[in-house]
Amino acid sequence: MSIISLQNVCHQYDDLEVLDQINFDLDNGEFVSIVGPSGCGKSTLLKIIGGLIKPREGIINVKNSAIDAELLERRSFGFVFQDPILLPWRTALKNVELPLEIVGDRNSTTKAKEILSLVGLKEFECFYPPALSGGMQQRVAIARALVVNPSILLMDEPFGSLDEFNRDRLNVELLKIWQETKKSVIFVTHSISEAVLLSNRVIVLSERPAKVIAIKKIDLSYPRTAELKQSKEYIDNVLWLRNQLKRE
Amino acid sequence: MASQSTKKRIGTADWLLPSAFLVLILFVWEIITHFFSIPEFLLPGPMAIGKSIFSDRSVLLFHAGITLSEAVCGFIIANLFGVAVGTLFAYSKTLKRGLYPFAIALKTTPIIAIAPLFILWFGNGPISKIAAAAIISFFPAVVNTTRGLKSVSQDSLDLFKSFSAKSYQLFMKLRFPTALPYIFSALKISSSLAVVGAIVGEFVGANKGMGYFIIINYYHFEIVKVFSGVVVVALTGILFFGVISMIEKKVIFWAKIDE
Repeated sequence: MSIISLQNVCHQYDDLEVLDQINFDLDNGEFVSIVGPSGCGKSTLLKIIGGLIKPREGIINVKNSAIDAELLERRSFGFVFQDPILLPWRTALKNVELPLEIVGDRNSTTKAKEILSLVGLKEFECFYPPALSGGMQQRVAIARALVVNPSILLMDEPFGSLDEFNRDRLNVELLKIWQETKKSVIFVTHSISEAVLLSNRVIVLSERPAKVIAIKKIDLSYPRTAELKQSKEYIDNVLWLRNQLKRE
Repeated sequence: MASQSTKKRIGTADWLLPSAFLVLILFVWEIITHFFSIPEFLLPGPMAIGKSIFSDRSVLLFHAGITLSEAVCGFIIANLFGVAVGTLFAYSKTLKRGLYPFAIALKTTPIIAIAPLFILWFGNGPISKIAAAAIISFFPAVVNTTRGLKSVSQDSLDLFKSFSAKSYQLFMKLRFPTALPYIFSALKISSSLAVVGAIVGEFVGANKGMGYFIIINYYHFEIVKVFSGVVVVALTGILFFGVISMIEKKVIFWAKIDE
């Protein structure tokens, strides 16, 4: 059953056409990655889905009820951006509590503690962000997105600034979290290999103005680990997607 | 951990080197006054000034206390208003465009030119000095508050938007804390300015305070006392600045502070 469907979504900034008739569905509990050349409008698309930007044209259906982007219940989305954007004056725990504080949730501390241990940062609750490594900061950001219990996680190149070793580790951890929490995920990245490792499906966008040029189902069984990257099926998928992008 | 200890070591060196130079400068100064037999009414040596400060210590403490309390009062009033006006400017383009030119015009008017008017309006007492201190320390807070509140990144605004934060929550939880380092740098600037303002007020018309002490001793040609007054004024300013810097380190513990 689809939880989100996009119909003919177009967008432009002034005269710059960014998105051209984007159509796709996201199934409940599905992990979908969006790949494409840098600057093609992937981030814009994610912000439109999350209701941060109102598209010029097109419809976004959430849970089959057509609603205006402005009326979108934003709480059904948890955002993770490339920059973790942690507030340096708050501890890891207080950063995770932030969205709950804003909606006036009284159990914010308990909930935040639970989520922090889910992402493996139980011992780092009282640390201020500058004392945490880049990977840990991003895990706090993921915890902050999960703490409001959103049905959909929107991630915009969340591991883009990490080294490859940490990226692999966080990818595997993200898969674990995804399987435990059963969230639907839309994951924007420019790394094809990351997209293949993580996703049920990969959506390939063209250069700006972005169109959907391919949607590829990744038939690799879960749980997946970084070792999967050596398998032939994995490499075939990566090569196929790379060719799609090259052909553009 | 390693970086912490190097930081501390640099801290002591920061303190040590200027002190060494201060001793050197005072020493050379003392030697020169003796060697060229410069009369005390032109340039007294540091020893003479030190002696004079010590013997006048209770009088100096009294006057310095007056000046410092005027400066602190003006400083507090100015910064409360300054932060409020800066906030209005950050939120209203119309107000900012309409009033900023006047703020700049008032800022560029020398305080010494307006000070006599304050005596006329508020009398010879402390209020005129507080007003002078307040006027001169008002603008840094306005400018820096506006700049600080606007320095939040688009990403963090998006994040708060995704939480459906209301605008007062955005202000309290994001904009204001982001602006605090800017506001504190304004407080540090205006801590020294406020002392200047109070003293200018006292120069123009007063019967106590460090400005009064300096002027009256100048008229009586007690030049050593003028110098000791100058030294005490400098120390008062440093004390005020130092206290604000200490509060700053406690309050905005997360920010890198440039001295």
